Parts: sequence; C-alpha cells; structure tokens
Amino acid sequence: MSSTIASEEKDRTWPELGACRVPAWVYSDPDLFKRELETFHYGPTWSFIGLECEVAEPKSFRRTFVGTRSVLITRDAEGEIHVVENRCAHRGSPLCWEQHGKAEDLTCPYHQWTYDFAGNLQGVPFMRGAPRPNPGMPRDFKKSENGLRKLRTHIHNGTVWATYSDETPPFEEYVGPEILKLITRVFNGRELRLLGYSRQMIPCNWKLYFENSRDPYHATLLHSFFTTFGIYRADAKFMVSPQPNGHEFIYSVLDPTLREKRSEVTDEMKTLKDQFTLHDMDVVSPVDEFEDGLISSLQVFPSIFVQQHGNVLALRHILPKETGKTELGWIYFGYADDDEEMQSRRLKQGNLVGPAGYVSLEDSEVLAQVQGVATSTPDSIQVVEMGGRDNFEPSETAITENLIRSFYKFYREKMGF
Amino acid sequence: MAWKKIASLADIPEYEGLKVDVDGHGIALFHVEGEVYAIDDMCSHAEAHLSQGFLEDCVIECPLHQACFDIRTGKVLSAPATEDVNAYEARIDGDDVLIDI
Repeated sequence: MSSTIASEEKDRTWPELGACRVPAWVYSDPDLFKRELETFHYGPTWSFIGLECEVAEPKSFRRTFVGTRSVLITRDAEGEIHVVENRCAHRGSPLCWEQHGKAEDLTCPYHQWTYDFAGNLQGVPFMRGAPRPNPGMPRDFKKSENGLRKLRTHIHNGTVWATYSDETPPFEEYVGPEILKLITRVFNGRELRLLGYSRQMIPCNWKLYFENSRDPYHATLLHSFFTTFGIYRADAKFMVSPQPNGHEFIYSVLDPTLREKRSEVTDEMKTLKDQFTLHDMDVVSPVDEFEDGLISSLQVFPSIFVQQHGNVLALRHILPKETGKTELGWIYFGYADDDEEMQSRRLKQGNLVGPAGYVSLEDSEVLAQVQGVATSTPDSIQVVEMGGRDNFEPSETAITENLIRSFYKFYREKMGF
Repeated sequence: MAWKKIASLADIPEYEGLKVDVDGHGIALFHVEGEVYAIDDMCSHAEAHLSQGFLEDCVIECPLHQACFDIRTGKVLSAPATEDVNAYEARIDGDDVLIDI
C-alpha cells in the first residue's frame, strides 16, 4: 500500500446528549466531507442517477454525479442502460464535456481513445505503432482490460440507480418495503415524460440540504406560501416516518377545506395571510391523481428527494461539491399519457418548487445563512429536541424533528462518532 | 465505368497498403497472395487512412481506432465503425494495377 500524506482528521467528540445535538463542525470540516463521500456515496449505497426517459434514444448520454465523481448514464445501440465513470481509462480526461447528447461512440478529446456505450474500450490510436516499425502499445496490452469503470446499476420503473460497492444489498432490500411502496406509487410503471430541469448551487454543506428536506417542522413556519394557501399546514394529518439506512418518508393528507379553517395553529401563525389570493388558483388547486388524498415525499439516502406536491412530480438530486457547496438538480417529470390539462397543471404547480419556487426559494437562502454561522462557530451545538429528545418513532404531527435525530443516529453509527 | 491504371504492382508492398489518389479520391490498395484489392482509403468512422492500417489476411485494421474491414468487400467487421467503405474491382495486368472506376 502506498503511504498517504493526508492530514489526520481532527479528534472529534460528539456532544453527550447524542442525536438530539448536532455539532456545527459536521458542516464545515473538509476531512469529514471526504470521509462521508467514501463511507456513503462510494460505499454500500444506491445513488440515484437519473430517469430512463432522460436518455430516451439509443446512443445517447447524460452527465451526472455520484458524490463528486462525474458519471454518465448511457443508452447503447440496443437500448440498454449503463452507468460508467466519465473518466478516460488512459489519462483520466473526462470523455463527455457536454451535459447530454447523442453520439456514435464515446471518444476522449485528449488522445481519441474510443469507447462503446457500455464503456468497453474499442479504439486506441496507433495501437500497432506508427509510422511503422514503431512498436505502438505493448503486445500484451488488452483493450478488454482497459475500459471505463462500470458501476453496478439497477432500474426500477424508469428510475436508474447505481453503486460503486459490491457489498450493496439488492435495491429493494436497501430501500426497504415502505420506501419501495412509496417510490412505486409515483414510479408505477407508467411511461415517464421529462418536463424539464433547473439547477442551483447552494453555498451549504450537503447535509444541511438533506436535513432541510426531512424537516417538516420548518415547512409550515418558513414557507408562508404553504400555509397561506392551505397546501401544507401544521394542523393537517401527517405521517413522518424514519426508515432504515438513512431513508425517510413524509406524507400529509390533502384537505381542500384546510384553507378556510381556523384553529389554534393558525392563530399562532403570524405568517398566515388568509385574505391573499392568486390570479390563477390552479397553482394551489391540485387534483387527487393518485386517489389516496396524499401529498407525499421521500428520501433515498444519500442522493435523492422524491416529491409529489399536488401534481408537481419533482426530484431533487442532492450533489455534494465541496464542504460548503451543494448542487441541487431539479428534475420535473410527468407521465407520457398525461392529457394536456394535466401537463399544464404540472407545469403551473411547478412554480411552487425549484430555485425560485414560491415555496423552495426560502430554503436555499436560509441554508446559506446557516452555513456561514456553522463555519464561523464550529464548536457551537445545534438543538434538535422537537417531539422528544430520544424520540425516533414515526410521528403523526409535522411538529417534530424525529427525522433529523434519526439521521444523526444513523450517521454517528456509520461514521464512528 | 472503365478500367484505369492507378499503380504499378511493384509499388504495393506485400501485406501493407498503398494510398493512391484517383481524381482527388483516396483509394487504398493491398496486395495479398497474388491478388490486389482496392477500397476507400478513408475510414468510415473517424479521419484515418486505412492504407496505413494493420493488415492480417484480408482484414485491414484502422490505425486510429482498430475498426476492421474486409478488403475484398469493404464490409465493416468490427466497431467502432458501423458503416462499410466502398470496394472497387481491381486486377493485375502485367506490372500494372487497374481498377474499375
């Protein structure tokens, strides 16, 4: 083994009270960030890669990331999906510099090594030497041993997942039965239609974003748009459920009469402006397309938040860049057989989410602020006690931090804190 | 179509290719066991000269990315090329190499 000159990680001790306390250094320590990538993103986890409909045609590709590593999702000439590292086996140049496209093969711009869409090396310029009698590559050089690094992949009803590890359990086992049921509620086998993307860079640690989207406590307080239009309110019926392996799901029962209701919750909410209206109320008037009356979201650790917000179907792809920098890729989709009315409703309601969404706008702002404070006060400690200091049980109210506590219980176990 | 002299047999090294220009079009000639074969010089995959490729029996391997073609028919035999190249009728007349073009 080669020696390493990396500095040793600082000796860190978790606060005594355990998972209901979060030390601010978890958000700002670059050594920890590296270890998290190894432990989680390149470890025995299934990372979300993309949707099959993003590479709809044969010989097409799209670039994305697992952790901070650039990878490609490809569809070969026969229609099969592959996930390979976007890294030439020769000198490590990225092969695809474009975000997506169609091509005859994958050719490295540096020395023109050429690969097929499954990542097999096909061509090495002047392999036999040129001009002859220069020897070219050694006689025992084998193209079959110098392909792109291929990731184990799994496809579930149009969603594509990949893992670096041979130890990762089968996908169904990794996500568990509850999450599988809820993923399959949205990805139910109906052909998907890609509606679009938005991307944003948030100057915060990836865990802050991850925790934000598993924090229903803030949802009705920070996001006044939710409460104003009765989409999501603390007095609605909720199920907030931690799941094994760092996953979670939240659903709430959509109540069309909620907007008009007064309760002790609404009286306490200074943000509630019940006289507000919109020129086009379609944005806040979803139809119950899954016929279960639910608004549902879930996280599959460590990379994706799947959200059904009324009729917006959106994926939030959480891509760590640096200790204090996270890219958020939004993928909006519907079904190929949606009628025009449904498609229009999805697009209109899409205004709720995304970088400048009526609701999501505040998240990136507040997280950027929290990151600044966490970085400048690494020894400060955050308090996560809502719903009970040691409560890791599912909750029927949104006023809980059980999902953040559960995350840190899992995190400490895996990271050895 | 007419037979046209494009090279002398002695100019084509055996088991290697020779590139000749015919009205501005590059043609690769190969001489294998007493027979001469002619195909397009430019590979159908990327810009590379098949005449500079590696010849084994009647298979020419492109020097750039190792796509293989049958020099008798121009048919592509392996990736990364996916399209055939043109093959031309060729014959030897004394020391002259003629192709039908």
